[in-house]
Amino acid sequence: MPKVSMTVNGKRVSGNVDARTLLVDFLRNEQRLTGTHVGCDTSQCGACVVHVDGKAIKSCTTLALSCEGANVTTIEGLANGQDLHPMQAAFRAHHGLQCGFCTPGMIMAAIDMVNRLGFNLSEETIRENLDGNICRCTGYHNIVKAIQAGAAAMGGLKVAAE
Amino acid sequence: MRPMKFGMGQALTRVEDHRFITGSGHYATDYHAKGELQAFVLRSPYASATFRMGSLDAARAMPGVAAVITHVDVAHLGDLPCQAPVKNSDGSTPRAPSYPVLPKDRVFHVGEAVAFIVAETLNQARDAAEAIDIKWSAMPVVSEIADARKKGAPLVHEAAPGNVAFDHLMGDKAKTDAVFAKAARVVSLDVVNNRLIANYMETRSIVAEPKKDGKFLITLGSQGSHGLRNTLAKFIFKTDPANFRVVTPDVGGGFGTKTFMYREYPLAVFAAGKLGRPVRWASDRTEHFFACAHGRDNLTRCEMALDERGKFLALRVEIDANMGAYLSQYGPYIPWLGATMLTGVYDIKAGYARVRGLFTNSVPFDAYRGAGRPEAAYMLERFVDYIADEIGMDRIKLRKLNFIKPARMPYKTVTGRVYDTGEFAGHLDRAMEIAEWKGFPARARSARKVGKLRGIGLGVYIEACGGGSPEPAYVSLEKDGTATVRIGTQSNGQGHETAYAQLVSQHLDLPLDKIRVKQGDTNDTPTGLGTGGSRSIPVGGSGVMKAAELLATNLKTLAAEKLEAGIGDLEISGGAVRIAGTDRRITFAEIAALPGAKKDMLSTTAAFAPPEATYPNGTHVCEVEIDPETGETRIVNFVIVDDFGVTLNPILLAGQIHGGAAQGIGQAMIERYVQDENGQILTASFLDYAMPRADDMPSFTFETRNVPSTTNAMGLKGAGEAGTIGAAPAVVNAIVDALRRAKGISHVDMPANAQTIWEVLRSAT
Ligand code: FES
Ligand code: FES
Repeated sequence: MPKVSMTVNGKRVSGNVDARTLLVDFLRNEQRLTGTHVGCDTSQCGACVVHVDGKAIKSCTTLALSCEGANVTTIEGLANGQDLHPMQAAFRAHHGLQCGFCTPGMIMAAIDMVNRLGFNLSEETIRENLDGNICRCTGYHNIVKAIQAGAAAMGGLKVAAE
Repeated sequence: MRPMKFGMGQALTRVEDHRFITGSGHYATDYHAKGELQAFVLRSPYASATFRMGSLDAARAMPGVAAVITHVDVAHLGDLPCQAPVKNSDGSTPRAPSYPVLPKDRVFHVGEAVAFIVAETLNQARDAAEAIDIKWSAMPVVSEIADARKKGAPLVHEAAPGNVAFDHLMGDKAKTDAVFAKAARVVSLDVVNNRLIANYMETRSIVAEPKKDGKFLITLGSQGSHGLRNTLAKFIFKTDPANFRVVTPDVGGGFGTKTFMYREYPLAVFAAGKLGRPVRWASDRTEHFFACAHGRDNLTRCEMALDERGKFLALRVEIDANMGAYLSQYGPYIPWLGATMLTGVYDIKAGYARVRGLFTNSVPFDAYRGAGRPEAAYMLERFVDYIADEIGMDRIKLRKLNFIKPARMPYKTVTGRVYDTGEFAGHLDRAMEIAEWKGFPARARSARKVGKLRGIGLGVYIEACGGGSPEPAYVSLEKDGTATVRIGTQSNGQGHETAYAQLVSQHLDLPLDKIRVKQGDTNDTPTGLGTGGSRSIPVGGSGVMKAAELLATNLKTLAAEKLEAGIGDLEISGGAVRIAGTDRRITFAEIAALPGAKKDMLSTTAAFAPPEATYPNGTHVCEVEIDPETGETRIVNFVIVDDFGVTLNPILLAGQIHGGAAQGIGQAMIERYVQDENGQILTASFLDYAMPRADDMPSFTFETRNVPSTTNAMGLKGAGEAGTIGAAPAVVNAIVDALRRAKGISHVDMPANAQTIWEVLRSAT
């Protein structure tokens, strides 16, 4: 079995995997990072979204081998110790989750949205850009509010840091 | 009720959220047992066929294969039981067709399980399944309700003539027919209630582990572990429930359909017992479409008798409900329950519903959020708009003329429901005001100018929930002064950990993170009825509240002795009991260490038996804009004003309403499960089954206009399903309003998607 090495949440990891192993299975089964979820088998729901080299991807349709040498961030790698990432904090503050199953993917997709489109996101932009993420519980209302607030908070932090 | 910092009514964010937003939630699909084997289910490609299982030797000899289980192995197990049969009108109880753990030689729907293959890895199990040779012989198919009720239709089950599973009459037919015979006017309409798939995001899974003492530890996502344990033990394995410990960790949504017994559960348990090793099975999304109960799917004919002024005199409806190929756990009960809400918010003195369950070659049907009540509310509210149009009367006037007036409460309906409270015109007016109903004509004109069609519509609903059997709650004080709640309900994402903690805090004044809520383990509480019917707060919560109150009294009793004060002089605040107005206090932890603090003083239990259901009600107003060129429809405004009696936590409540409404809007506009005439599933993934996405959904304006319920001490009315019940009729009424204004169209069926709307606009003259 081929060997794959990558950095996951800042930690160098490697493993021997079957060539057909998906990134999501590598993360969930080999690395025991079960925060990344699987909600479908057709690349539609976004429960599996992680960041690879800073960009959101669906880990259910990415081969682990294709991430050789990559820098992978999962939901478990967002918080800085006890300090939540502003997007995580916004999801809690705005009740942007119920069962929480879609939430890791939502948060990872939301951060990517901010990285691509900036800190000032309109409701319309957010809804449009969530087209790859399904939530069955919330009706999206509070997810949209959370992302808007999380984006603004990320902006605030960035500004303060600069 | 005295306002407490973390108590009843406070808008608190959720205590459970931290683990979900950091990826440390623990769902059944995250659970693995040491040394577990993986299972794969071989399923029928035919909707109706006989079959002969060929030799299993090749499959059994494949690498890694531990077992290939077929009917012969599990023939000794009991059937999956239908636990809520509905009687025929003649009083007889129809016999449910046998629903075996695995079928012997006949399948009745696509995806029906025929073999359970267990191997070291899932891929090995899958490969082995391909080596199983089955001789299939296709049989005639009854795909949909319309096929089932055709004259001379093939029979799904020989024992069910006419494909009728049951035929039930509710209400007074003779009286109703007599009113119809003399009515000034009769209006009738046929409505379709489209078939839906629950599509919670976490698909089902199970890990069954045999223990040395012959017992099993079973981990699965459910809506209540006790119910599944009891069904497995009593009906299927015919053993003492104590032999099964069922544990449900975090659950990624359920919406009704995670309540039920499914074949994979006894199969995993049986395989684990046979092999002496843990066995895991997990569904993928496509399997969800053919291995989990479906929802809705009714064809209903409704008729209203009216007088000259538009007063409703009598209502009769005929509901044909698809049961699928077998009677699922509560399947027949669902349309029956819906029919009990026949007359809704209207004062109608005569009426009946004929409810028929029909067999088809499709996945068995059962409860999905609302369970019968969305069907009833949709039927009635769509019909009332249709009547208004037919008789040329304003739809609001017609409603107000026929509403049950507050002064008539408590009000007994023709189906025997007793509504305790409800001010329907009150929330109707308020919702219309927020939605600026009066300004609609101007908005419609502006839309017209840019070639768009606008419509506005509403639905006024009442539903029955939060009743049924009591749910014992156990509250105890720990040595460190924190509290623990144990209860047999089951959060599926609604936020029970927060809600119950608030109820405890109402009496113990502890911050929420000092109160643990334990659910899901059959070892923790002797009984449990799980989540369903919006009961966890009205019924479960009432028990928690009472148990917390008893505990507070015990703590005061213990403190009184220590502080040498009368109980009446004591108050609880901030994790301590103190003499009011002084700084003399004793903390909970100190109380727990007192010699008199025996277990029975520190642990209390209470259960609330509701005398009647609660009846939440409300108005949803929807405004849409349609592009007539494409049929594409946008919801431009959505307003909800509801009566939930009392609000426990406005944040959680709004979440329930948004999510519920989204499921109603999904049904109204895009969701539909489809089979072709051969019973093949055309919508078995998120590519073909339209799931509501962020861009399909509106932002909601939600307000409460509460009138406390009189059937529970807190005054609560259940809120878990109301959003779904109210939304669909408001959406379709808005769409029809737009189409009526443009082309005189008086009805469309759900889902009113772009294609449907485009087609009706094209074919209207
Ligand atoms: S699991 Fe990756 S998109 Fe659904
Ligand atoms: S919170 Fe349950 S699926 Fe989004």
